[in-house]
Amino acid sequence: MYAVELDNVNVYIEGKHILKNITLRVPYNTIYVIMGPSGSGKTTILRVINRLIELNPNAKIDGSVKVLGYDAFKIDPYDLRKHIGMVFQIPNPFPHMTIYDNVAIAARINRVARKREELDEIVRWALEKAMLWDEVKDRLRSYPHVLSGGQKQRLCLARALAMKPKILLLDEPTANIDPVNARKIEEAISALKEEITIIMVTHSPHQAARVADHVAMIYSGSIIEQGPVSQVFLNPKTDFTAKFLKGEV
Amino acid sequence: MAMGVSRKDKIFFLSLIPPSITLLGILVVTVITILSNSLESLSLYGLSLIASSIWDPENLKYGLLAPILGSITTSTLAILTALVFSIPLTILIAEYSSGFVKNVLSSIVELMGGIPTIVYAIWASTYFASLLKQYVMDPLHAYFSIIPLFSCKPITGFSIFTAGVSIGVSIVPYVTSMILEAYQNIPQALREACLGIGCTKYESVKVLMSLAKPAVLASLILGFARSLGETTIAVATVGNSMYLSSCIFSPGITVSALIASQFANAYLYKYAESVLYASALFILFIAIVLSFVGLSMLIKWRVKVVV
Amino acid sequence: MYDQRKIKDKLFFVFVLSVSIIAVTLMLHMIFVTLSNGIPVILRAGLGFFTSIPPTPLSKNIGGIAPALAGSFIMTLTSLPVSISLAFFSAVLTTEFPRNPLSIIIDVVAKSLASIPTIVVSMVIYLIVVVPMGKFSALAGVLALTIISLPYSYTYISTYLRSIPATYREAAYSIAMGRWRTIISVFVPIIRRGLLITVLMTSARILGETAAILFVTGRYRLGVSVSLLDPTDAVPLLIFDYMLTPYKNFQEISWAAASLLLLSYLIIFTTTKFLVKEVKL
Repeated sequence: MYAVELDNVNVYIEGKHILKNITLRVPYNTIYVIMGPSGSGKTTILRVINRLIELNPNAKIDGSVKVLGYDAFKIDPYDLRKHIGMVFQIPNPFPHMTIYDNVAIAARINRVARKREELDEIVRWALEKAMLWDEVKDRLRSYPHVLSGGQKQRLCLARALAMKPKILLLDEPTANIDPVNARKIEEAISALKEEITIIMVTHSPHQAARVADHVAMIYSGSIIEQGPVSQVFLNPKTDFTAKFLKGEV
Repeated sequence: MAMGVSRKDKIFFLSLIPPSITLLGILVVTVITILSNSLESLSLYGLSLIASSIWDPENLKYGLLAPILGSITTSTLAILTALVFSIPLTILIAEYSSGFVKNVLSSIVELMGGIPTIVYAIWASTYFASLLKQYVMDPLHAYFSIIPLFSCKPITGFSIFTAGVSIGVSIVPYVTSMILEAYQNIPQALREACLGIGCTKYESVKVLMSLAKPAVLASLILGFARSLGETTIAVATVGNSMYLSSCIFSPGITVSALIASQFANAYLYKYAESVLYASALFILFIAIVLSFVGLSMLIKWRVKVVV
Repeated sequence: MYDQRKIKDKLFFVFVLSVSIIAVTLMLHMIFVTLSNGIPVILRAGLGFFTSIPPTPLSKNIGGIAPALAGSFIMTLTSLPVSISLAFFSAVLTTEFPRNPLSIIIDVVAKSLASIPTIVVSMVIYLIVVVPMGKFSALAGVLALTIISLPYSYTYISTYLRSIPATYREAAYSIAMGRWRTIISVFVPIIRRGLLITVLMTSARILGETAAILFVTGRYRLGVSVSLLDPTDAVPLLIFDYMLTPYKNFQEISWAAASLLLLSYLIIFTTTKFLVKEVKL
């Protein structure tokens, strides 16, 4: 049993073949990192898993996507997304909600908590897991615009966690923030895999090396190599992977 | 792959249909009402309805030539007026001002765009008409009376010319905002191209304006469509005379002014209501067609230049 | 050569500036004379301007415009929610399902509605409401005003909805928020400033419209009518009727009403510019 299984998934957007025969298996409670240069289709894989891809009316998808054993495209997308949290490349906390509400709404929508005390508890738990609690505990009623970019991103991580997902998708979560904050997010992620299956997209081989259990190398829409992190990093099978790991691509 | 469309999404879509269909209903009812009520006079009078300028309801003689020509002339004058003011305003706002001044100028344009036309009407009939007579119409007549358009002596300030220019002033904000938007949408790269090779501001503006020409034209077409329907300003300034003249300084009538002044009493005369509906059909048809021409020109231009 | 180009450049600026000054002067002149003609009349009439009925043509006293004020107030307040909600639902349809054939049709319809001359709307409502009811009514006015303001509020709302960055939609969907919930809990609060502007500008549009109600509301000026089913009056209608009469007191009232209308518009416009707190993104 795998948390996420993709079999021969193809995605076409406006006739362009974006993903080509993607097959990958993500075991439970691991960190699975998809790496590759920009424009290679990494983000699209994440969007197939939680069906955000359907926001693009031009996208056509075939193949099989199984999430937690269910056929992702046969069940209601809202039921699917209940189990999948996502953090995006650019921090996107809801600007009109307080820090507290940004986290609480995810819990409330998914009926993780209803009562005030339960909500307080889960907000605190999520913010602690995202390593943001100490920085915001005295200003939970402020709006996210007072936070730095890195703090905003950790707020988004907390929001995703507050829905108590089984799977967490991370789309280059540290691409647009400073190194200190990036390290905090990596730490938080590493601590989370006890409870959650994490799929992360990155263009940085160093980040992959720091957090991954499994890695997949994607290039121009195809997975050219995948396996346990030690195997791929020590014995890359393709020239491209070797170059990428050395930072030459 | 067959996608599992959410039941929630379907309900969401369905819930939006009734209110949206209302809009369609309004349009259909409007067009059908106008069309069906003009049929009687159209079949009875046929082409003579638009070819004759005799308006004699007591003898059941109806000709719409004067109001139709009046509407076309005033709307043409209106967009010419709008053009004269809108282009310099656009250039001043986009090229010669920045920060606070730019903000104030564009706010004034925006502010004026929303002022009820009835305020324009009362101002134009009381002040602007006599200003125009004294400073524009009288001099034009004095020096260019050889030209048929200016051949008659302006008696009161109320005339086809006054109505056209007054409506023109009222659509200046509307036309300016459209031209300004198009002008500012010209990509930065093109903007700097001319300045980069040592053009003066004037030369650069000339290049950019020629680039924006289709958008300017589209804005004028949309302005024309709006002027056609303008009622209050027309009634207040056109002079309301059914007499047909080739001189734009004489009082005249427009379709909307005709409707405004005759509709209330039209039930007294046979066919009069139907004739007025036919005249409404005329401006409705032209206004809708021109709006589409104008809007699609704007979209095409945007696709070509901006993207 | 070089000098000639520079001179041309300077002349061009002088031209642009002077034509613009003429345009702005005309506009400010209009505001100035409306207020300076109208406000003294209101001050002279005092409170009675808001509570009395219009005078007879040759009477010495100024009277008031109470029937028109009540009519405008009632018709605007009734028409506004209808117009805004219809426009809101339609705008949600066309922005949420931009490729759906129905959305494309509705968008085209909204644009066509915007191009209908408002006097045509008055003729249509006359036939389908006034004639069957057998009398003029505020209700007919409400319908006419709703029709002319609908495309206006639709354009505003759909522009604001489209301006919301896609990333907030993604954030909402990623925490399994439904579509309605996303609109109510995320989109509406994000564009609340825009929606408030829409409400204000639409009410200004309704308040100032003349031609659309020319043949439908009647001109009941003998008292204040609060019933939707009875004839009523409106401020623009009163200005329109009185400005073209030869009677001095009518013209005065016309200016006073116009200045009141203009003042309310100026207040609405200024409010949209300064008062509303924006959501910081």
